[in-house]
Amino acid sequence: MKQEFDKTDCFTMNGKLALPYTYFAGRVGSTFITTIRDQKKIMGVRCDKCSKVFIPPRQTCEKCFSDIRENWVDLQNTGVVTNFTVVRYDGKHLPRKAPFVLALVKLDGADTPFVHILEGIEPEKVEVGMRVEAVFAKETTNTILDIDHFAPVKERVQVIERPTSPEKPGKAALSKDEMERLERRKAMSNKVIITAALSGAATMKNQNPNVPYTPQDFAEEAAKCFKAGAAMVHVHAREDGGMATHEHARIKTTHDAIKDKTPELIVNLSSAVGMGKTAEQRISQIVHVKPEMASLNTNTMNFSIVERKSGKIFLDYVFENTFTMLQDFGKAMEENGVKPEIECYDMGGLDNTLIIMNQGFFTTPMNFNFVWGVAGGQAFRPDAFIAMKNALPPHANFTTCGVGTDEFPCITLSCMLGGHMRVGLEDNIRTPKGDLAKGSFELVEWAVRIAEIFGRVPATPDEAREIMGLRKR
Amino acid sequence: MAHRKKNRNVGIVGVGQTKYSSHREDVNQPEMIHEAVSLALENAGIGLNDIDCIVHGNMELFEMVFQPDLWHVIGTGAYGKSQYRITTGGTVGATIACAADNLVASGMYDIVMAIGFEKLQEGHTTGGITNMADPLWFRHLQTGALTGTKAYDMIREFGEERANRAAMMYRIIMDKHAGLNPNAHRSFGLEFDQMGDLIKNSPKLVGDLKLIDMCSQSDGACAVIFMSEEKAKQLSMKPVWIRDHVTVHREEIFHLFGYDEKYPITMTHTLAAERLFKRNGIAKPLEYFDVFEMYDPASWWAVDWIRDFFLLKGDEHLRLVENKDIMIDGKMPINPSGGVIGSNPIGATALVRVAEAAMQIRGDAGKHQIPRPVNHALASGFGGTMWTVLMMLEKELNW
Repeated sequence: MKQEFDKTDCFTMNGKLALPYTYFAGRVGSTFITTIRDQKKIMGVRCDKCSKVFIPPRQTCEKCFSDIRENWVDLQNTGVVTNFTVVRYDGKHLPRKAPFVLALVKLDGADTPFVHILEGIEPEKVEVGMRVEAVFAKETTNTILDIDHFAPVKERVQVIERPTSPEKPGKAALSKDEMERLERRKAMSNKVIITAALSGAATMKNQNPNVPYTPQDFAEEAAKCFKAGAAMVHVHAREDGGMATHEHARIKTTHDAIKDKTPELIVNLSSAVGMGKTAEQRISQIVHVKPEMASLNTNTMNFSIVERKSGKIFLDYVFENTFTMLQDFGKAMEENGVKPEIECYDMGGLDNTLIIMNQGFFTTPMNFNFVWGVAGGQAFRPDAFIAMKNALPPHANFTTCGVGTDEFPCITLSCMLGGHMRVGLEDNIRTPKGDLAKGSFELVEWAVRIAEIFGRVPATPDEAREIMGLRKR
Repeated sequence: MAHRKKNRNVGIVGVGQTKYSSHREDVNQPEMIHEAVSLALENAGIGLNDIDCIVHGNMELFEMVFQPDLWHVIGTGAYGKSQYRITTGGTVGATIACAADNLVASGMYDIVMAIGFEKLQEGHTTGGITNMADPLWFRHLQTGALTGTKAYDMIREFGEERANRAAMMYRIIMDKHAGLNPNAHRSFGLEFDQMGDLIKNSPKLVGDLKLIDMCSQSDGACAVIFMSEEKAKQLSMKPVWIRDHVTVHREEIFHLFGYDEKYPITMTHTLAAERLFKRNGIAKPLEYFDVFEMYDPASWWAVDWIRDFFLLKGDEHLRLVENKDIMIDGKMPINPSGGVIGSNPIGATALVRVAEAAMQIRGDAGKHQIPRPVNHALASGFGGTMWTVLMMLEKELNW
C-alpha cells in the first residue's frame, strides 16, 4: 500500500531529555560493587532454603522471599559461559565498538549467570561452556565496568609436583596452542638462551670500567653482547654518576636506547632496581616501561656485602620480597604482558613461588633463574641445583647465574642439564682466566664456548621468545 | 466500575507501609518495596503464596528506571505470579487500588496486592513532570509540580489575609497530624501562633505558593492487600469493604490553569464527587463520612479542594479549616496521617490515602487514630494535570 502523506507545512520539533538521577544501591548492592572495586573480588549471596547462590546479590530470595542479606559468599573470578550474543551494531550507549561479545557467565560458586563483556577471543570462536575469567579494570569507574571484561581462561598447570604418570606428563591442563608450542620447544631443545646482565645495581666503574651507566653505554654494550650470542640483556638503569635509578624516564630511555640500536634483543628489566627502593618504585617502572621480561624476586633475604674469607660484614641489607610483593608484582607483570623471570636465591624462594602460583595468575611456561652466591642466599652446589631443577613446576624453563667465581660453574651445570645461562658484569667482573672482562660481551663469548662443548647452540631472540613464551614488542 | 455492577464484594485485609523519609541509601528499590510487602503480609496474616496477583505502581521517569516492575520482582514477590504495572501520575497509587478492586471483583483473582512506591531522591521529579506537557506550547514554560494559580484564585475570592491564614491554618493542622504518625516524613512541630511568621517569611516558590505550603519529596513504599468476600469468609477475616470507586480525567492545562468565569468547567474533583455520591445515594457527604484522606499536594489546593470534594458552597470550606473542624478530633477529620504534605512518595502516595482510610475504619491507626468510631471513609487521588480518583470504604457490608 502506498504510504504518502503530504508533509507541507508540518512543523517538527527536536528536543532532548536529560534527566539527572542518583541511584541508591542499598547495603547489599554497596558491598557487592565496592568489593569489586577495592578488593577485585566478586561476591554473591546464598539462600540456604533454596540452596541457591545469587549474583548479583540481593536482599531477599525471589523464590522463598527469605531475607538473605547476610549470607555472603566469595565467588571465583572464573566461570563458564552459559550463553552469549555478538553485538554487531555501534551505539553511543554500548560499552565497546562492534563487534563485541556479551556473555552470560556463571561464576564458579554461583548458581545464577551474570552478564558481561567477553574479550580476548574472536566472536566466531566463542562457545557455550568455555571457561572465562574476570579481568579487572586498572582504573575504577565506580560501575560494574570495574570488572573490565571477561577473557578466556589461560589454561594453567594445576599440579605443582613433577608428573609421575608417564603417559600424562601434566598435559591435561594445556590448551591445543600450548601443546603445539611445547612440541616446537622440544624441537629447540639444543638451543640455549644466553642472557647478559649488563650492570646490576652494585657493580661500579671502579671495579670494572666497562660497566655501562648512560643509555648510550647500555645500547653499545647490549649490541656487542647480541653479536657475541646473547638473546637477552638484563638491565638495571643507572644515573650518569652510576647510581641505580628508579626514575621512569631514565629507565625508559635506557630501555629504548638498547631497543633502538638492537631491535631484535629481549630487554629484561630489574624489579629490584637497587638498594632502598620502595615496592611502588620497584614495580611502577615495570608497568610504565612494559619490557618483554622482568625479574621477580621470591624471598625476603639478607643481601649484603661481606668479606667471605674473614666473615667481616661491610654492608648489611635486607632485600624485602614479601609474599604480597611476589603476588602483586607477579600479577602486575602478567597483567601488563611482562613475563616474569622468577629469581630463586634458594629452595625457599622456589617454594614460595610454588605456593603463590596456585593463585593461577602466572602464565605458562614459567621461567626461573637460580641465583647463586649472593651473601644472604645459597652458594653454588651441584646437588642443590639439581634439587631445585627437580622441584620446578611442569613445563618451566630455568636459567642460572652466580656471583663471582660461582658464575661459570653454575652456567656449565645448567647447560648440561638442559637449562639456560646468564653471565655479565652484574654478577661477575672477570673472565675464567681471572682478567677483568672487557665487557659483558666477553663473558657471553665464554658462555658460547661452554655451550659448544655440550653441543648446544645459542638461541636467537625469537627462539628465546618462543621457548620462554614472550610477546615481542 | 459503576456502583452495584460489581460481580462480588472486595475488601482490604492488609496494609504495610515503610517509614517515609527523604533518603533511603541503605536499601535499593526492591529492597525498600520488600519492607512494605512483608509488613502487609504480616498485617493480613497470610503468606506470599496466598497472593494471586500483584499490581505495581510508580512513576518510572522519577527514578529513571524503565520497566521497574521486572527487577522489583525480588521485592514485590511477583516471581511466577500475574503482575500488572500501572503508571498514571500522582493518581497511580489510587489507580492501582482501583485496579486491584476490579481484579478481585471480576472474579479473576481472589487475593491481589497493590504496591505503590517511589524513591524520589533518586530522580528529578520536576524534570520528569515537565515532560508531561505539550512540547509545542507548554513544555518550555512548565514549572513542574509547582503552581501558584490556586493561591491567586483564593486570594481573589476571599481577600489576601483570610486566604493566607486559611491555607496556613491547614498547613499547621497537617503538621500536627504528621507529628502523630510514626511513618510520616515531615513534622516540624508547628504551632498556630506561628501563622503570621510563616506567611511572612516562608520563601515563595511560584506566585503565593510558599515552600512551607508544598508537599515533600519522599522515599517509601506502601502495600495493600485486597480480598474477595468469599475468600475472607473462608479465612475468617473481617475486611474493610470497598463500596465504590470513581476515576475521572480530562484534557490537561486549560482545565487546571485556564478556566475562568467566562468558561465555566466542572473541575474533575467536583465531577468525580458528584458521580460517586449520586450513585451511592449520599446527599450530605460532609455528614456521611467520618474521615477523609485527601491527596493534598499543597495547602492552597487542599483548602480549595475541600469545597470541590464535599460539594460545598461559598466559604463553607474555609470555615471548616478556620474552626479546626478538619482536625483529628474535629467534625470532619481530614488526613489524620498528616497527608501528602507530610509524606509524598508519589507512586505510593494515593495508595497511602486508601491504606490510612482503611486503618481508621479498623481502628488500629495508633496515635493518629480518630478518637471516635469510624464507619465511612473517603480517600482521594490526584494526578497528572487534573485526574481524580475517589474511593469509598465502609466498615460494614450494609449499604
